[in-house]
Amino acid sequence: MFSKQKENRILLVYVLPALIVYLLFKLYPAILGFYYSLTDWNGIDQSYEMIGWANFKEIFEDVYFWESIQFTFKYVVVILVVSNVLALLLAVLIESRLKARGLFRTLFYMPNMISMIIGGYMWVFIFTRVIYYLADNWGLAFLDQSWIGDPRYSFVAIIIVSSWGTVGYLMLIYMAALQGVPLQLKEAAVLDGANSWNVFRNVTFPMIQHAFTICIFWSLSSAFQVFDVIYALTGGGPGRATQSVALNIYEEAFKGNIRYGYATAKSTILFVIVFLLTLAQLKMMKRKEQEL
Amino acid sequence: MRIKQKAGNILVYSILILLLIYWLFPLFIAILNSFKTNGELLTNVLSLPKELQFENYTRTFEKMNYARSLMNTVIVASIGVSLMIFFSAMAGWRLARTKTKLSTFIFGLFVFSMLVPFSSIMIPLYKIMLLFNMNNSLMGLGLVYTGLGVSMAIFLYHGFVKSIPKEIEESALMDGCRPFQIFIYIIFPLLKPVTVTVCITNVLWIWNDFLLPLIAISDNEKYTLLLSTNTLFGQYSSDWGAILSALILAAIPVIVFYVIFQKSILKGIAEGATKG
Repeated sequence: MFSKQKENRILLVYVLPALIVYLLFKLYPAILGFYYSLTDWNGIDQSYEMIGWANFKEIFEDVYFWESIQFTFKYVVVILVVSNVLALLLAVLIESRLKARGLFRTLFYMPNMISMIIGGYMWVFIFTRVIYYLADNWGLAFLDQSWIGDPRYSFVAIIIVSSWGTVGYLMLIYMAALQGVPLQLKEAAVLDGANSWNVFRNVTFPMIQHAFTICIFWSLSSAFQVFDVIYALTGGGPGRATQSVALNIYEEAFKGNIRYGYATAKSTILFVIVFLLTLAQLKMMKRKEQEL
Repeated sequence: MRIKQKAGNILVYSILILLLIYWLFPLFIAILNSFKTNGELLTNVLSLPKELQFENYTRTFEKMNYARSLMNTVIVASIGVSLMIFFSAMAGWRLARTKTKLSTFIFGLFVFSMLVPFSSIMIPLYKIMLLFNMNNSLMGLGLVYTGLGVSMAIFLYHGFVKSIPKEIEESALMDGCRPFQIFIYIIFPLLKPVTVTVCITNVLWIWNDFLLPLIAISDNEKYTLLLSTNTLFGQYSSDWGAILSALILAAIPVIVFYVIFQKSILKGIAEGATKG
């Protein structure tokens, strides 16, 4: 209709507003972050020097940072499995011939509506007050632990609260996928003598592969950045036992003795990890989807 | 067969109901105890309040500057989301309609950033906000959300535009419509399903986002709901009556929003996730 050049000009007019805010608040900070990571800037002074890879070398010996990386990986693996298994289980149960499925879906999604800061503080009340009441009065003595103060249990507490806040979202995605599985396929399998587990394993499971790709991608990228739930529950403590990478970076950059260059070097490492892992996951699962 | 199915149904229902009780327990227990005096709360956390007393609520309503923080949150979310919708609908439409190298490049640029984690850009982002005097500004915060959210929204609009026949626009162009008029009067109304999805997912995201306001806003007067709740939690270390009522107050707007729009919210969330 128009020449290529004119088309490009029209395109730019319409894309420009979005492009400007996007470049300014997303892409430019990403590039700037990498640039700062090569400096010794403290964030306040006008002057700073390029120090090459020195920050990265220092990070290699930063025990606290590696502990936070380790903690985050552990968290990612556990929450990924727990929340996806639970979400799939809920989705399958609710989608199976239930009349009240709309009600169940609505109620199970409820915790996802409120922020993990608010939900997290509600759970603090449970872990510091309600638990002890139950332990004393209902004879549930095993609950009588320091759920937030003891590193052995605080990880469990974080997983409990975190899954409580994320399962609803994953459940919705699995439910949408389950609804897309044609009923005739399942009925045909039943007629061929398959039991319900076989139907699920061989008919439903391959048909909802796409939902797995989405859910695992979402779990991966959000779990690596976990902040709110830990901030509300333990603040990273006791000590630094539950400090996630995002929390570690936040404290490095905004609390106490600020070292901007150093903190941005940590951010860069987080970026590389998340970017590579999610990209690899997407590639791998897309290929698997196509094979099926 | 019949009996087996019935037994199965009962089993499924009991599992779901047990899980549901556990699921809603935190909300329930918070509401229950927010109406108690602290003395009552200490003796029994599970009992019903002897009488509904609203003293906790009146206390925290003032203390957390509820009306102000609610207003602030509404301002940030509406600026962020309305700009995001307007900018991304225009961009998504033109990007889908233009088949040039430039359009492929720009689209790729937007999509690429969906893999960039927020915590890895927050430090320089804060510096940029300082540079433009946008820290402690609700307008500024809304604009930053627009920038962070456009890629996803453009992606959704881009996918949907492809399903709208091009002929509609071409005939309008023949009739002498200007491209912007075509966008406003013809395209934008057709994009409504995506607009609803974009609106819902992003209102909820901005409403519940904590880390960005935490670093960008330090002025009490500009606090969002979450920031003032957080501050109150820090101040009242063991005054659970006050804290729980504050948590309920902070949760009420989204819960009300959910009750009214739950159908479109659940649909919008699922669509935003699967298409994105």
